[in-house]
Amino acid sequence: MTRPKLAIAGLTACSGCQLTLLNCEDQLVDVARLFDLVYFPMGESGSDPDAVFDAAIVEGAVSTPADVELLFGLRNASHLLVAFGTCALWGGVAAMNNKVSGRDELVRQVYGDSGRIESFPPSPMGNFVSIDFAITGCPPEKHDLLALLAAVLAGTLPPLQSYPVCTECRSRENLCLLLEKGELCLGPIIQGGCNARCPATGIVCEGCRGPVREANVAQELELLLERGFDRKEIERRMSRFTPEWDYGKRR
Amino acid sequence: MGSVVEINPLTRVEGHGSVKVYREGSRVERVDLCLTESPRLFEALLIGKSYAEVPEIICRICSLCSTVHKVTALLAVEDAFQVEVSEVTALTRELMVQGGQIQDHALHLYCLLLPDLLGVRGVGELALKAPELLKTGLAMRKAGNMIQETVGGRIIHPVNIIPGGLGRRIGKEQLLLLRSELEAILPSCKEAFRLFRTPFPFPELPKPHCMALAPSAAVPAARRLVFCDGHSFPVSDYRDEICEEVIPHSHAKRARVLGADPTVGALARLTLQPCPAAGADEMLRSAREEIIGKDIRGNNVAQAIELWQAVARALELIDRLVELGAKGGGNVKILPRRGRGSAACEAPRGVLIHSYDFDQEGICTGADVITPTSLNQGALARDLLALGRGMDAEDDLRLTTAMERLVRCYDPCISCSVHLLRL
Repeated sequence: MTRPKLAIAGLTACSGCQLTLLNCEDQLVDVARLFDLVYFPMGESGSDPDAVFDAAIVEGAVSTPADVELLFGLRNASHLLVAFGTCALWGGVAAMNNKVSGRDELVRQVYGDSGRIESFPPSPMGNFVSIDFAITGCPPEKHDLLALLAAVLAGTLPPLQSYPVCTECRSRENLCLLLEKGELCLGPIIQGGCNARCPATGIVCEGCRGPVREANVAQELELLLERGFDRKEIERRMSRFTPEWDYGKRR
Repeated sequence: MGSVVEINPLTRVEGHGSVKVYREGSRVERVDLCLTESPRLFEALLIGKSYAEVPEIICRICSLCSTVHKVTALLAVEDAFQVEVSEVTALTRELMVQGGQIQDHALHLYCLLLPDLLGVRGVGELALKAPELLKTGLAMRKAGNMIQETVGGRIIHPVNIIPGGLGRRIGKEQLLLLRSELEAILPSCKEAFRLFRTPFPFPELPKPHCMALAPSAAVPAARRLVFCDGHSFPVSDYRDEICEEVIPHSHAKRARVLGADPTVGALARLTLQPCPAAGADEMLRSAREEIIGKDIRGNNVAQAIELWQAVARALELIDRLVELGAKGGGNVKILPRRGRGSAACEAPRGVLIHSYDFDQEGICTGADVITPTSLNQGALARDLLALGRGMDAEDDLRLTTAMERLVRCYDPCISCSVHLLRL
C-alpha cells in the first residue's frame, strides 16, 4: 500500500493547529507510519518543491502575499485541501478588528511609521481557494484531526457536525452560564464538538469554534441585550474569532 | 565572486523564518536572520478590549507557550488593579507553568532536535527509525499535556484561569492521578539528560549575556530581572532598560538590554538561578563545564536538566495543593481602576514580559509584550555570523546544516512580531 502524502502547513496563525498533531502522543507514531509527511516544516526538514499531496492540511488566516503564494501552491499540488482551525475557516483572532479598524492603522500602532510590512486584513482561506473539508476550533480538538486522517486513509471524509455548544453542555448537565448565571456565553450560536469544555470549567463559551450552521444570531443578541449587556461589548466578544456575523433582524 | 545561500523555511522550529548567508568566495560576509511570521498585531488588537478579555486573546499569540502567556497577562492585569490572589490560585497557575515547561522541553528535545542527533529528516522518519526513543519523549510531553488538560481545561490556550482566580478548583483525586503520571516520567528525564549531552559539532561561539528572573519564593512572577554581570532591575522598569531598536532601511526591531544582546532561556536560568530540586543539582554539577559560562551550545542539555526540575517542582506543588485540602482557595473580585500593570514570567524559552494600561472602566488603552524570541534575536543573529565566520572553509550544505542546528539550540518561537535583522 502506498502511504498517502500529506502537507501540513501554517499561514497567519500561532502553530497551535499543527501542534495538535504533535499532541496526539498515543497516535503520532502510527500516523507517521501510515502517512508520508512530505511537507511539514514544523516537524520535518528538507522537502521536495515539486511534491504532490493527497491532502494538504493548512492552518491560519491569509494576510500577506506570502500566505497567498503558499496557499495557491498547496491548492494546486494537493488533491484535498483542509482548512485546519478557526483562523483558516473564519479568520480567527487576527481578524477580530477587521470591521472596526484599518490594517494600516494597526500596523502603524505596532511597528511605527518606519514599518513597511505587506499585509492586508486577515481573511478565511475560503475567500481565496476552494476548500474540501474544514476542522474548526482554537485550538482544534485532537479527535477531529484523527477522524479526518482516518477518513483520508479510507478514501473518504468525516461526516459534518452541526449542533451548537449547548447540546453537549446540556447533556453534561452543566449549570447554564447564560440563563442561570446571566453571563455573556456564546454557546447557543457556536459550533459544538468540544464537549463544552469551557462551560464545564465554569467559564463562558468564548466562541472559539465559530458560528454553528443556522445559528439564530438575532435571538442570542436579543437575549444578551435583555440581560443588560452593552451592544458594543456583545459585538466585541462575538467578533473575537469571527468578524463576519449576520445579526439578522437585530441589525 | 559573491553568492547567497538561503535556508528557507527554517524547519523544526515554531513559526516562519529564514536565514540568508552572503559569501564572498568561501568567506561568509553577512548573515540575515529573517523572522517572517505574518504579523497579527496583537498589541494593537488589545486596545479597547476589557481587562477580562486581554488574557484570553493574548494567549493566542503562541500555541507552545499559551499557558505562560495567559498567566503573565493575568499577573499584569492583577498588578494593574492591585489584586492579590489566593494561595490555591497561585499554586495552580504555577503548576500549569511547570506543565508548560515539560511540554515545551519534551517537544523541542525529542521531536524537533533529536532528528539532528540521529541524522534523520524529522518526526516522520524518527517514528520509523527510532520509535522507542520518540515514544519516550512523547510520554514526557503527555504528562505535561495532562497537566494542561486537567488543570487548565485544555492542552492549548487553557481556560480555567481567570483574573482573580480559577474557574474550577482541581480535586484531590485528579491531583493524585497527575502525581503518579509525573513520577512515572522521572526516569525518562534522567535518560534525556544523558541523551542531550551530545556535544555539538561547531566552533566556539561568543559568550552569552545571560538574563533571567531573580528567584522568588512566590509565583513565577519574580520581581527583578538579573544579569550575569551583576546588574539587575525591577520588572516594572523594563521600559527604561530594554530598548527596541529600529535599524535604518530594514524592519529590524531588536531588543537590547543595557547595551547588549541578551540571552534568555534554560542556559541563562541555570546560570543565574539556583537549582533547588534534588537530582537536578546533581545533573548540573556533572554538566557544569558544558553550561555555566558557556555559549548557547549548552542550552539543550540545560533544557534536559530543567525537564527534571519542572517535574520535581510540579510534584511539590501538587503535594501542597493536596495538603491544603479545601482551604486556601477562593476568587478575588476585580475592581477596575485606571493604571498600568506589568509582569514577567520565565516562559520555557526565557523571560516573557507583559504590560498593560487600563482606563477607569478596565478597558485596555495600551499593551506591550516582549517575547523570549525577540530578546534572543540579537544573540542568535550574532551567533549565526560567528558560526559562519568559524566555518569559512566548509561547503554550503555543511554550513547551512550547522546553522539550522544552531537555530534549534535557541529553541526559537517565532511569534507574532516580524523582525528582520541585518548583521
